[in-house]
Amino acid sequence: MKQLAALMVVLAPLSAQADGLAAWDRIYAVASHPRCTNCHVGDSGRPAWDGLGYGAARPHGMNIVAGESRIGAETIPCRVCHIGAAGPNAVPHAAPQIDEAWRLPPVELAWRGKSSGDVCGQLRNPDANDGFDLAGLVEHVQQSAFVRYGFNPGAGRVPAPGSVDDLARDLQLWAAAGSPCVGD
Amino acid sequence: MKLNVDGKSHEVDVEDDMPLLWVLRDELGITGVKYGCGIAQCGACTVHVDGVAVRSCQLAAGDVDGDITTIAGLGSPDALHAVQAAWVEHQVAQCGYCQSGQIMQAASFLDLNTAPTDDQIDEAMSGNLCRCGTYPRIRAAVKTAAAKLQGA
Repeated sequence: MKQLAALMVVLAPLSAQADGLAAWDRIYAVASHPRCTNCHVGDSGRPAWDGLGYGAARPHGMNIVAGESRIGAETIPCRVCHIGAAGPNAVPHAAPQIDEAWRLPPVELAWRGKSSGDVCGQLRNPDANDGFDLAGLVEHVQQSAFVRYGFNPGAGRVPAPGSVDDLARDLQLWAAAGSPCVGD
Repeated sequence: MKLNVDGKSHEVDVEDDMPLLWVLRDELGITGVKYGCGIAQCGACTVHVDGVAVRSCQLAAGDVDGDITTIAGLGSPDALHAVQAAWVEHQVAQCGYCQSGQIMQAASFLDLNTAPTDDQIDEAMSGNLCRCGTYPRIRAAVKTAAAKLQGA
């Protein structure tokens, strides 16, 4: 009996870590989805058109480069086409709009083309995730119009897998397990 | 609702979700603003809201939150905007349909970026289509206008 209890003490953290890694896998399925990675791009500032429901994946049309400003201030601001007010987003090919200023995320949050381990390391490090601790990340996911849009993009665009609630729950599971990454 | 367009206040009786382009053309008769695609792919409908370019086919009337300027209010025949003057100098227009959108885009761009590079000019104007292919003259006119505005 004592041996069994000792085994459980050893295995419990392993089980928690396995649950955390499973939650992370679901988080990464969202973070690596085109609905996110179209704009979570690096210092090229070049968003992508991927998962639109038509055509091949390609760079954003119209030669769009969001620049260092990440809002296109140097050339053509995102807001010229992406209106900063909630809209039905019901028309294919039209510019999606949400009740927030359309923009690229900070360059340190570039996820496009990055591995699960890389994105995991970014998200658990406030220095690499725009200053969010894990509780802040959950709150951000629950409140962001961008995140809501990603799960309900409309007009045949491919939605990110799951829901806002699923993602928030998985972030909480991952955090409770010590935010493990593959290869830790 | 009340809209300020080209320095004039207008009271319009429209649904909140009517695109601004419809309000301008059909309700106010400002037909210098053009309908091209209706989905923000061509730029023909570009106007300014508080000086920043916006595709008026995408902006619902109820979401307008500033003063609107159309091609009819950008300059006047006696006092052309620098971009309009450059358009005349370079004889940019061919059929002319897209040109009001092109000019409004260029004017907003040069207001935000007073010293653009050639690449930035190309990037800023790439969302405005011209089926006549006047792009070389558009680029030249934007450069001329940029130089004039920098010297102003």
